[in-house]
Amino acid sequence: MNISQRDIFENVFGRIINHTIIILLLGLTFLFSILTPEVFLSTDNIHNLARQISFNTIVAFGQVTVLITKGIDLSVGSVLALSAAIVIGFQDLGIVIAIILALLMGIVVGFLNGWLVSKIKIPAFIVTLGTMTLVYGIVLTYTKQQSIIGKIDSFTILGSGSIGPLPIPTLIMLILLFIFHMMLNYTKPGRYLYAIGSNEQATFQASVRIVRYKILAFTISGFCAALAGVLLASRLNSSSIHIGQQTALFVITGCIMGGASILGGKGSALGAFLGVLTLGVLINGMRLLSVFTYNQLAIQALLFITVVAVDAFYVNKVKNRIIKSKF
Amino acid sequence: MLNIFSWKKINLIENQVGLLLLIILVFVGSYLSPYFLTVYNLYSILWAVSVLGIVCLGQAVLLITANFDMSVSMVVPFTGIVTVWAQIANYGLWTSIMIGLFVATLIGLLNGFIVVFTKANAFLITFGMQTLVYAVALIFTQARTWYVTIPEFHELGRGQLFGRVHYSVIIFLGMAILLEIILRYTRTGRYLFVLGANEDAGRRLGLSMIKLKILVFGFCGFMAGLAGLIMTSRLGQTRAGGAVGMDFDSVIAVVLGGTSLFGGTGGALRTIIGVLILGILSNVMVLGGIPIAAQWIGKGLVFILVAGANEHIRKLILDKYKKS
Repeated sequence: MNISQRDIFENVFGRIINHTIIILLLGLTFLFSILTPEVFLSTDNIHNLARQISFNTIVAFGQVTVLITKGIDLSVGSVLALSAAIVIGFQDLGIVIAIILALLMGIVVGFLNGWLVSKIKIPAFIVTLGTMTLVYGIVLTYTKQQSIIGKIDSFTILGSGSIGPLPIPTLIMLILLFIFHMMLNYTKPGRYLYAIGSNEQATFQASVRIVRYKILAFTISGFCAALAGVLLASRLNSSSIHIGQQTALFVITGCIMGGASILGGKGSALGAFLGVLTLGVLINGMRLLSVFTYNQLAIQALLFITVVAVDAFYVNKVKNRIIKSKF
Repeated sequence: MLNIFSWKKINLIENQVGLLLLIILVFVGSYLSPYFLTVYNLYSILWAVSVLGIVCLGQAVLLITANFDMSVSMVVPFTGIVTVWAQIANYGLWTSIMIGLFVATLIGLLNGFIVVFTKANAFLITFGMQTLVYAVALIFTQARTWYVTIPEFHELGRGQLFGRVHYSVIIFLGMAILLEIILRYTRTGRYLFVLGANEDAGRRLGLSMIKLKILVFGFCGFMAGLAGLIMTSRLGQTRAGGAVGMDFDSVIAVVLGGTSLFGGTGGALRTIIGVLILGILSNVMVLGGIPIAAQWIGKGLVFILVAGANEHIRKLILDKYKKS
């Protein structure tokens, strides 16, 4: 096979793209350190930042799992909100039971998503749009559109506490990072997920039960969203109807920036972590620079569109190259 | 080989889950209240859903080509904002309307451009565009409510022909009929079905898929703009988040009416059924004393059930066709 200059260029280009996220992260950190001397790199700020991104990163781990299978989960924001509402609302039954109930809800919603996508074969974004609305409706009805304040103080340790310099949510996030990295790269289900996302037909004909693994992916996503909701509720010691509104957008942007693709087959836990971290740095930096909230939202939305567009454009270009080179 | 007559039969059968639901809802409604089946109540429902209905017509055409426009929920109020801004800036009634419609169509065309040239997922691009337009609207209005300054503007949403039928209802129904004719009896309309069913085949036939796609996206934006004008003129005010949920509502209504999420099949008149279902569903839920928040739950459930049922029926029919 002849290796043309084009192939070399694309290989190098591809490798650069893969590492772009690290370059971007370092670049932004550098930028903000200069723009806000002594504030951005202070221990306080980094401590805060680490805690803030943990919640979204945990959701991102679940999201990237779904993205790898060529799916998408838009309901994560609502699941997060409902989980927070459940864990605070059911405090009287005891913290442990409340947490278990919230996590169970996440698993059930995730399972429902997965079943509808893989068995009934309705497109993932439609299903999760439906569940997003449905679950949000449940949140509104259950909380009667008000915030619920938590009563048990010991619960807040989960979200607000730290072990030494490390906030507890960040610790949980790092543990999950390790688990997801191991699962996606070194276990059978993990590798099957990549296979399903890359070429579902071929994987199906290799006698892999697609339905089972897709349901697994969505269930994991629901669980992660619920876990993040529990931690967030613990941090705020309350639940409100406003949390989780931008979560889906934020997390999907982060995952794609970290290497995942809407068209499936690509992505990693580490990438998701880096992507969300970069976004977190961006938001944190903008806040320190007193950028108007609505401008921040516009920038986030613009970033999302750009990331999705570039991802599709690049992947389609590579696909066309591969198809053309076969003939 | 199935002949044309059979295809017509299939087309008729496969979309009737929505119609069935409509009939059931009418029964439930008349059971819940003696005033339900009155002309007044039914016309009120029609009037109330006209705004959503116009958006749904645009969305339906787009769905036939297997694309989505999730940005409508923010383009609708944004059009109102731009129009009111133009009025405050002394641009005059018709100029302000033109500016509003122009901006709406522009956003639609922008969606189309991005989707066509990056081959990205239309749903996600327009989903991001929704947030972007929302953010821009918030920045523009500083999150305040703006009020219509030209009183004649109210005629659009509130005015009635011969004092009986509202202009908005006439526009809605008229556009539905017009669209149905275009979809069924003109070349461009039929090409849209080709675009949705099998884009590659259309391209090989020599049709310009690029032009068609951008056209429908622009059209959807235009309809959203029109709906936004009517909504603003009815309320007399506009704010950035005035149509939250309309993205989901429009997709549900179109699917309830029998258009497929995967494209290639659908229509404008059947979208009226879908919109009516949503309207009557809301009406029935209010009559039944169900809180507004729970309506979201109802809509989500109905959507999943009907979409699932429609797709399932289509699959069964397709399997039967393949076997014969």
